[in-house]
Amino acid sequence: MNIVVCIKQVPDGPTIRIDRQSMTVVREGTKSIINPLDYVALEAALYLKSRKGGVVTVLTMGPPQSEEALREAMAVGADGAFLITDPAFAGADTLATSHVLARAISRLEPFPDLILCGMQTIDSDTGHVGPQIAEELNLPQVCGVNEIHVEEGFLMVKRLSDNFLDTFRVTLPALLTVNQRLFPIRHLPLGALEIAFSQRDIIKWGIEELNLKAEEVGIKGSATRVQQLYSPPQKREGKLITGSPQVLVDNLIKKLEALSILDEEHGSG
Amino acid sequence: MEADKAIGGVWVFGDYRNYFQNRVTLQLIAKGKDLAEKLKTDVTVLVLGDQVHQYAMEYIAHGVDIIMVADHPDLRDYQVETYTHLVARWAEAFQPEIFLAGATSFGREFFPRLAKRLHTGLSADCVALEVDPETRLLIQTTPAFGGELLAEVWTYHHRPQMATVHPGMFKELPHDHEAVGRILYPEIDVLPEERVKLVRSRRQPKERLSLEEARVVIAGGRGLGSKEKFGLLYDLAELLEGEVGATRPAIRAGWAQEERLLGQTGKSVKPNLLITIGTSGALQYTTGLQGAENIIAINRDSHAPIFKIADLGLVGDANTIVPLLLEELRKRL
Amino acid sequence: MRLEPSMKQEVVRRTARKFAEDRLASVAVEMDRTGLFPWDIAKEMGELQYFGLEIPSRFGGAGLDTVSCSIVIEEISRVSAAMGLCVSVHNSVSAYPIYSFGNDDQHERFLMPLASGEKIGTFCLTEPNAGSDASAIETTAIRDGNHYILNGNKIFVTNGGISGINLIFTRTDPDEKGKNYTVFIVESDRNGLEKAPTEELMGMRGNPVCPISLNDCRVPEENRLGEEGHGLKIALTSLNGGRIGIASQALGIAQASLDVSIKYAKERYQFGKNISQFGAIQDFLAEMATRIEAARLLIYRASYLRDKDHNYLKEAAMAKVYASEVAVEATRIGVQIHGGYGYTKAYPIERYYRDAKVCEIYEGTSEVQRIVIARSLLGN
Repeated sequence: MNIVVCIKQVPDGPTIRIDRQSMTVVREGTKSIINPLDYVALEAALYLKSRKGGVVTVLTMGPPQSEEALREAMAVGADGAFLITDPAFAGADTLATSHVLARAISRLEPFPDLILCGMQTIDSDTGHVGPQIAEELNLPQVCGVNEIHVEEGFLMVKRLSDNFLDTFRVTLPALLTVNQRLFPIRHLPLGALEIAFSQRDIIKWGIEELNLKAEEVGIKGSATRVQQLYSPPQKREGKLITGSPQVLVDNLIKKLEALSILDEEHGSG
Repeated sequence: MEADKAIGGVWVFGDYRNYFQNRVTLQLIAKGKDLAEKLKTDVTVLVLGDQVHQYAMEYIAHGVDIIMVADHPDLRDYQVETYTHLVARWAEAFQPEIFLAGATSFGREFFPRLAKRLHTGLSADCVALEVDPETRLLIQTTPAFGGELLAEVWTYHHRPQMATVHPGMFKELPHDHEAVGRILYPEIDVLPEERVKLVRSRRQPKERLSLEEARVVIAGGRGLGSKEKFGLLYDLAELLEGEVGATRPAIRAGWAQEERLLGQTGKSVKPNLLITIGTSGALQYTTGLQGAENIIAINRDSHAPIFKIADLGLVGDANTIVPLLLEELRKRL
Repeated sequence: MRLEPSMKQEVVRRTARKFAEDRLASVAVEMDRTGLFPWDIAKEMGELQYFGLEIPSRFGGAGLDTVSCSIVIEEISRVSAAMGLCVSVHNSVSAYPIYSFGNDDQHERFLMPLASGEKIGTFCLTEPNAGSDASAIETTAIRDGNHYILNGNKIFVTNGGISGINLIFTRTDPDEKGKNYTVFIVESDRNGLEKAPTEELMGMRGNPVCPISLNDCRVPEENRLGEEGHGLKIALTSLNGGRIGIASQALGIAQASLDVSIKYAKERYQFGKNISQFGAIQDFLAEMATRIEAARLLIYRASYLRDKDHNYLKEAAMAKVYASEVAVEATRIGVQIHGGYGYTKAYPIERYYRDAKVCEIYEGTSEVQRIVIARSLLGN
C-alpha cells in the first residue's frame, strides 16, 4: 500500500511572532514542531503499513526549515520524504497550498493508494487543505477519522461528525483526515533520530520541478488575503481583587447578589 | 437551468441536522439578512435532503426570503461528493456573491471541497462578518495563529466569497408564523455515485445538558489540579442552577467529557454569568466566552490573560476559594 | 563559530523532554519518596536507546554525538535527577569504557545488553579508604591460571542495587611498587560478588547506591578490560567523559529550579503585590538564569571538543565544577524564593535542593576538579 502523509511544521505554543508586512508568521527563531494531528496521521500510515506492507512517504510544503519536520517523520518510520519549497510558495492560502501539494502528489511514482492528513493544524485551524487536495486530485474523502480497519480490498473507517457516528466503506485511492483519538503518540528512539538526520535523503521540489506558474502559487495564487491581524478588543471592566480567601469569596458573593443570581425566583429549576 | 439574476446575493447552506439544538442556520439567516440589506439583495437558503419541507418552512419563519430545495431519497444522508456536485452547479448557475455555512463538522469538510470546486476563497470558523456596501466585499474575521489573534480576511476577486461561521456568534430572528418566502425546486440532474459508502450512521445519545442555553456557566481548567477538585464545580453549578464547562486541557486530563468543551473548537456560551476557575485564558478558550454578559475569573497568577476578559477577577488559589464559596453559599441558600 | 544547537540537537532535546515529561514526571516524586527504582520506565527507556546514547547502532545504541548526549541527560535530570544520574553513569563510565577498550567478545557479551538497557552498568572505584585518592584502592585481583581472584570492598556504587554488569577497578600487583591498576567486568550474578543494602541518601533517591564487595570472586581473563596495568588510563578517560554527563545532570536540576521559581514567583502575592515585582526576587532569578546559561555553554564547549577528538580535560573539569556549584546555588535560591512552602514536600524545590548537593562531590569533588584545571594551566 503506498501511503502519502501531508505534514506541516507549525510554531510550538504561544511563541508566535508575526511579520506585519506580509501578514505571515515569522519562522526563524520560533520553535517548531510537527502539527500534532499530522503526527497522528503518520502513525496511522505506519499502522496500515504494518498490516498491508508498502511504503510511507511524507510531504510538506514550507520554508527550508521544514526539513526538520521531515527528518523527524523519518525517525518515526517514514520511508521517504519530499520538501516542497520555493520562495514563490510563501503566503499561500489553502487554495494555493492545496494546489501545490496536489501537484506534488500527482508527480509521485506510483500515485499513492491513500493520502492521510491531520484534520486541522494548530496554527491556521482551517482544516481545508485535506478536502481541497482531494477535490483537485478527484479523490473521495472522509474527514475526522478516528478508527481505521483494514479489510480485503477496502478500508472501514469511523468518525464522529455532528453527533453522528458514521461508518464508511472506503475503496482506494482516497484521502482521509484524522482526528485526535486515533492512536496514542509514541516516543522516538534516539538512534532513529540520529539516522534520520545523518543518513537519510530528502528530495526537494520547487516551482520548476512542479511545472507551476507564478500566478498559481503563493500570495498570487490565493483567493483570500489577510488584511490585518489584531489582538481581540477587550471591553471588560477588569476589576482585580487580591486578599485572603475570605475577602475574595465575600467579593464574589457581593457580585452574585448584584446580578440577582441568588434571588429566590432565579432560574427555571 | 435558467440564470435567474434575482437569486444571486447572499446564500446560506441549510445545515438542519440536530435541529433544534443546532441553530447555526437560523443564526446565519439573521446575519445574512443584515448583510443582504446592506447589499440591497436577498438571502437564499439551500436545503438538500429527503423530506425536508419542514425545514424549509422553519427557515422561512425565521426570516429567509428564498429557499432552494433539493428533495430526493438519495440525498437523505449528508454526503460530501453529492452535495458538492449539486451545490456547485447551482452556484455556477445563479452566481451568489456571498455563501455562508455553519462551521459544523459537516460544514467544515463540505465547504472547502465546494470552494475548491468553485475555485474561490473560503475562511474558516468566522467569529464576525461585515460587508462594505461600496466594494461589496465581505469582511471575514477568523481566529488566527492558534487563536492568539484575530485575522480580517478578504476575498478580493474570487466569487462567491465563502465562509464557515462558528455557531453562537449571531442572534437568530424570532419565529414569525406570518413570514412568507419563495420556495424553489431547481432541477436535480443525475447524482454522482458516492465513492465512499456510508455503511452506518448512528446518532449518538442526546446530551442531557444544554450548555449553550444555560444562564449560569461554571467553567474549570487545568489550574484546579485534580479530578476531585474539578468535581466541586458540579456542586457549585447545582447551587447556582448552572451548567459546568471545561477547557481542552481539563478534558484531556480526563476531568470532564468532551461535550463540556468550551471555546473555539467547542461550545460558545452566552450565559448571564460565567465563572471561570483555574483557567489561564488562552484565546482558543476565551473566544467561546465573549458572549457571556458577566465574567468572573479565579486564578492564582495575577498576570493570567483570563483577567483581561473578566469583569471581576479574583487572584487566589481556586482550591481554597471554591470550598469556602460553597460553604458560604450553602449557609445562605 | 556556531553557538546554537543543530536542527538534530533541537529535535533530540524536544524528544527527550517530551519523554521525560510524559513518562518520568509521574514517577519522580514516588522514586524520591520510596527510594525504589522504576524498572518499567527504565525498560521503555532502554527500548528507546537512552542506555546506549553514544554507542554505535551496530551494538544497539543510538550513536549520538556528545552534545546530543549532554542534552538528553539534562532533559532527563530536569524531571528526575536520580534517573538522570542512572543514565549518565551507565552511559559514560560503564558502557563507554567497554565500547572503547573492549574486544569483540566483550562487545557482544556485555556492550549489547548494556546498550539496550537489558542490563544496567556500574563503575566501582571508590572504597572506604579511597575517595578522592583513587590510587589508594586496596581491591586486589590476583592471577590464578586463566582466572583472577578478586577481593575488596567498593562503596557508593551508583546504580549498584540494580546493576547487571559492573566494572571493578583493582590492583593486580598488591606490592607497593608497580601499582598495576586493572579493570575487570564482573557480572552481578557471578559467585563472589555481593551487594549490601542500598544506602539511605539525602537526595538522588530512587537511584540504588550500595556497597559491592568481592569475596574470592573468580573472574576469567576474558572479563579483563584491556591489559593489566591499563586500568588508570581507562578510568581517567571514562571519568573525563563522565564529568560532562554529571555537569549536564546538575544543569538539569538548576534549570528545573529556575522553571519552578519563575512559576511560583508569578503566583505569589505579598504586601499587595506580586513578588515577581520585588527587586530581590528579580535579582535572584536573573542570577540563576545567567549562571545556568554560562554552565550550559561550558558543557557544550567540553562536549564539542570531545566530539572533535581534542583534549577536553580542562573544559570537562570546568563544566563539572561550575555546573554543580550552579545547581547548589540555584536550588538554594529556589527554596528561598518559595519561602516556607519551599521547605515542604508539596513543592518539588526541596527535592531539587537535596539532589543538587552530591553533584559537587561525586565523579571528582569540586576540589579535585580545581586541581585538574590548575594543573592544566600550570602545565603539569
